[in-house]
Amino acid sequence: MADDFILTLQDVVGGYGRMTILNGTTARIRRAAITTVIGPNGAGKSTMFKAIFGLLPVRSGRMTLEGRDTTNFTPRQMLDAGVSFVPQGRNIFAELTVRHNMELGGVALADQSGLPRRIDAMMQRFPILAEKAGAQAGTLSGGQQKLLEVARGLLLEPKLMLIDEPSIGLSPLMVQEVFGILKALRDSGVTILLIEQNAKQALQLSDYGLVLEQGQTRIEDKASTILADPRIAQLFLGGGLAPAAQ
Amino acid sequence: MADFLQLLVAGLATGAIYALAAIGFTLLWQTSQTINFAQGEFVMLPAFLALIAMNLGAPFPLAALIAILGAMVILGLTFKLAIVDPLIKSGPLPLVISTIGVGLLLKDGVKEFYSAEAQPFPKVFPETPFSLGGANFTYAQIAVLGVALAVIMALNWFLAGTRTGRQMQASAQNPTVARILGINVNRMIFYTFLINAILAAVASLLIAPSQFAKFSQGEQLGLAAFVAAIVGGFNQVRGAIVGGLVVGVADNFAPTLLSAAGLSSAYRQALPLFLLVLIILFRPQGLVGRKEERAI
Repeated sequence: MADDFILTLQDVVGGYGRMTILNGTTARIRRAAITTVIGPNGAGKSTMFKAIFGLLPVRSGRMTLEGRDTTNFTPRQMLDAGVSFVPQGRNIFAELTVRHNMELGGVALADQSGLPRRIDAMMQRFPILAEKAGAQAGTLSGGQQKLLEVARGLLLEPKLMLIDEPSIGLSPLMVQEVFGILKALRDSGVTILLIEQNAKQALQLSDYGLVLEQGQTRIEDKASTILADPRIAQLFLGGGLAPAAQ
Repeated sequence: MADFLQLLVAGLATGAIYALAAIGFTLLWQTSQTINFAQGEFVMLPAFLALIAMNLGAPFPLAALIAILGAMVILGLTFKLAIVDPLIKSGPLPLVISTIGVGLLLKDGVKEFYSAEAQPFPKVFPETPFSLGGANFTYAQIAVLGVALAVIMALNWFLAGTRTGRQMQASAQNPTVARILGINVNRMIFYTFLINAILAAVASLLIAPSQFAKFSQGEQLGLAAFVAAIVGGFNQVRGAIVGGLVVGVADNFAPTLLSAAGLSSAYRQALPLFLLVLIILFRPQGLVGRKEERAI
């Protein structure tokens, strides 16, 4: 079980235009666990997620999902392969209703006849969304919008969910709620790959951690081990790290 | 009062046609950042397609259908594949300049290969006047207004009431998130080009009976559509509707207002530009538009 990796990245190189952000990123993400990616600003955390999900071309290296090569898959192919992505910031369609936002999460569903049932089930799981189903999504609070995004991302019942900074701009109470949802998902077998600014809190919730710096993986370990590592404090205070011993 | 009503209805009828052109204009902008300076010529061309079909013996309803389908092929599919797709990667400016070229091509093409003269167009709706509360209207005005509003309502229903329409809205509001959800954004953009072509064709068929079909008509129509889109709010379909109606009504009231102010009626042509300047100075987001924030 310890070696059951759902997603692997092998020497992935990529970036925007000619700018290289991911500089040979290597990672192995364990199934049915929460893994948090931490690292200073500009380390390539969000870029890594975009590359995994096919929003950014990978120039070299290889990615696999459950052993299958998914390098340079399109987002649609990633969805079909069982991965969903909740990006950073506000990603709802403000002028559409909550229900219609949710419905758009089911575009990639092979059997569209099952969509209404899935939406209803998701509404039951998040009663606040059911309550606001007919309201314009832009009228929701920041936390409710994030909830809607997560619910929308879950509609396809993904095996792996990439979530970039879900807690940004949320009240501490709402952060707890979102983290609680992630834990429940993990317990139901969904693999969560998370980026969090609030590294300490996120690592406390996580099973594993991955420290990214300058587009390379420096540490890949149990979350509790990373939390106890004195080098982490040093990293976030601005000092560099030597590449992790292989 | 009767005069006022009369001018208002005539203005709304013209304005509804402008609105059709302006809606297409904003849809292209929203989904693909295409600023189509050939929009006026897009409204000019379909009437000629109908005329060609009628010259070949087609009855008017068939000719109208051919005009709409022809517009979808030429102004929708071909425009998207041959002009927009290759150029959009280089940013908005080369595309804008190309649309000016497309406009010239359509205009001079019609002049060269059809006629430089204004062509009479079948009057589908009777121009017979009727009187209501002392004001005189024609059945054609009411019918034009009715058809244009019906098309706008059908479009609104499609955009808001169907799943494809909502995918189009999503693609326009946030293409990246749309892709993340698996929406085929490029196909949705293609649909907006088809819709724009249909709207242009309907506008063309509605305006040709009263203004005749003329190769140079696009200049005025394009300006009206452009101003309507800016006045209403460039980023909103309902902005284009409001803008179109405002421009149409203002245009019809202009002669009366100008003579009341002791000015020559020649200033009428300047009115859309005057409106444009006013809006840009005092309400740049348009009458019902959203303010846009630009991320740097």
